[in-house]
Amino acid sequence: MTLCPAPPPRPTRRSVIGSGCAATLPPPRPTRRSVIGSGCAATLVAARRLGPLLFAGCGSLPAGRVLPVGLLHSQTGPLAISATPVRDAQIHAVEQINAAGGLLGRPVEFRAPDPRSRPNLFATRARDLLEAGAVALFGCWTTPSRLAVLPLVEEFQKLLFYAVPYEGGEASRFIVYGGQIPNQQVLPALEWLQSVAGGLRRRVFVVGNDDRYGRLIGYLVGRWLEGRVLRPVGQTFLPVTLSDFRDTVALIRDSDADCVLNTLSGNTSVSLFAALAAAGLDSRRLPVVSTTIGEDELRNLRPDQVEGHFATSAYFQTDPGTVNAAWVEGFRREFGFDRVTSDTMETGYALVHLWADAVRRAGSVATTAVIQALRDGRGFDGPGGRLAMDPATQHCAKPCRLGRIRSDRQFTLVHESPAPIAPDPFPAAAFPGWSCDWTQAGLVRGAEVKLDGDL
Amino acid sequence: MFYWIYDVPSPTLAVGMIALFVLFYWAGLILVRPVLRQFVKHTPACNDVVGYVLSCFCVFYGLLLGLIAVTAYQNFSQAEANVTHEAAALSALYEDVSQYPQPYGQNLRWLLRDYARYVIRYDWQLQRRGIVPVEGTIRTQAFEEQLLGFQPRTPAEEILHAEALRQFNTFLEARRMRLFTVTASIPAVMWYVVILGALITIAMVWLFDMKFISHLLLGGMLSAYLGTMIFLIAAMDNPFRGEVSISPEVFQSIFEHMVEE
Repeated sequence: MTLCPAPPPRPTRRSVIGSGCAATLPPPRPTRRSVIGSGCAATLVAARRLGPLLFAGCGSLPAGRVLPVGLLHSQTGPLAISATPVRDAQIHAVEQINAAGGLLGRPVEFRAPDPRSRPNLFATRARDLLEAGAVALFGCWTTPSRLAVLPLVEEFQKLLFYAVPYEGGEASRFIVYGGQIPNQQVLPALEWLQSVAGGLRRRVFVVGNDDRYGRLIGYLVGRWLEGRVLRPVGQTFLPVTLSDFRDTVALIRDSDADCVLNTLSGNTSVSLFAALAAAGLDSRRLPVVSTTIGEDELRNLRPDQVEGHFATSAYFQTDPGTVNAAWVEGFRREFGFDRVTSDTMETGYALVHLWADAVRRAGSVATTAVIQALRDGRGFDGPGGRLAMDPATQHCAKPCRLGRIRSDRQFTLVHESPAPIAPDPFPAAAFPGWSCDWTQAGLVRGAEVKLDGDL
Repeated sequence: MFYWIYDVPSPTLAVGMIALFVLFYWAGLILVRPVLRQFVKHTPACNDVVGYVLSCFCVFYGLLLGLIAVTAYQNFSQAEANVTHEAAALSALYEDVSQYPQPYGQNLRWLLRDYARYVIRYDWQLQRRGIVPVEGTIRTQAFEEQLLGFQPRTPAEEILHAEALRQFNTFLEARRMRLFTVTASIPAVMWYVVILGALITIAMVWLFDMKFISHLLLGGMLSAYLGTMIFLIAAMDNPFRGEVSISPEVFQSIFEHMVEE
């Protein structure tokens, strides 16, 4: 059986045209050759047209084409309540950078493992991030966590951007310190307390945790107040786990102090304020100036126990200014209508942009190039004002602001330094002979500073 | 292996797959058929014989394709159900913890909101690349830590806390199910059988003795449909990859409610 009998011979296209009587001839029937030819031509045309479409989307950036950064914030454990909002603020900054086209034509990809509030895990997680190619780290909260990461950033020669106010007395060319240090926070607050605006206070009691932060600030305050009208009448350093502050309140009462400097960590402060309120020591009789209480920590405190007391910081959510208003609104739009912003969040957010701007100017993520760009002092105009790195110390100039706690868990600004205060991580009162200038001789060590207690 | 196909827009992929099969058929018709025909051209009633064999083969192949298509669809439906279940459990948990005293309630709500946001923005991106996301686990651990830290003080709070814990377990279970389905796909060996079956089908059609134009048309149509079937299975396989995939829409609607409350 044959379905396809051989066709009779028929004129070719060439013979028809050559005959000169095409108009009188029937249209030519397709031959196998002509069909194959047409098919090949159609295939080539289709391949040319469809090729780009077929492979559309295959040009997306592979994993190696992103700029990985590490966010080292505790998301579980006792530090989580304070550190998680900083992570959120930095995620917000990374997303803004990516929405604007990324850096050097590449998207920034963050990785945020959980160090679980344990310094040893900070080191482990930091190593993992750096080995995975992170070009910069942002994070750490406590001094032990920062000190655990410090040798790693020095080993890998990458930058750590640290957003938390700390006690000073430290310098590394691989850390950019964005938070306030005592000469920008504690010392101006003490100046204010002894002024007319601060109520002409004369006797201050220092309460802190028994850690490096509490001890070093206590030591500095004692040295700095020598010869001033405000004098220290007592200090106590307490374990982080302490919850019964009745003995501490009795100590304060017996010292006849007329103000308190509180450097306790946020959660420990809850018990202190509860004990003060129970003893009838309200903000009018005994104002407390806290260095570690921000809007986030206030959510855990009862307004009736803290209203009228003070906090010293470089930023409050209630700061006026369109940049701050836009930031708070944008952050709430992304993370929720009832989220609050705080000093550490603002600094963390601004540090990410500070790094990004430096990378753009440097045209590279190489540490030396980024440091060089950061040293030009151009800074980033953040919600709390301009943040710029001091080339000598790699700390940042910050304003000192004092806020009175309101019943709505926000602050009313009562004092603000006239200009951002230059950082001095080694105040002469506590660190005689110490200095730091990374553009010149680097860190110059003076006499060893001995603090009481085991640090 | 061929995961790059999920980066191609679906209409383009469909057209490409059909074109590939049709062109393969046509190319084989010109290049391979003359060789293959040598084996059967002297067989009496060749077209009938080839037709019988092809019919028999197509029964098995059709069954296989049908079963695979159903499996891919079931995988897809199951993954979609898991996502919906997780989102519903998350929403119920959010409502439960809203009743907690402050600041517990607020902290717990923020953590759940953060989880939902992370799932939408980052989990889905990774799932689309066939990667099981892990950082969401950190967020559920943070929530669990906060939830377990709450000490109920009244009978009402005890009931609320017990219900929240139960709801949290439901949510965790649904989340785990979603993560299991991220890598759910048809085994590679089945794909090999499908491709081999398609090749044999096409080769059998080449053996028919027909007019060339008829061959181009009929075989082209059959190949086009084969391409369509294989496109359909590939598109539904890997439920979180490609354009025909599960979207985070249910999480999105819950998250919008959470942030605008």
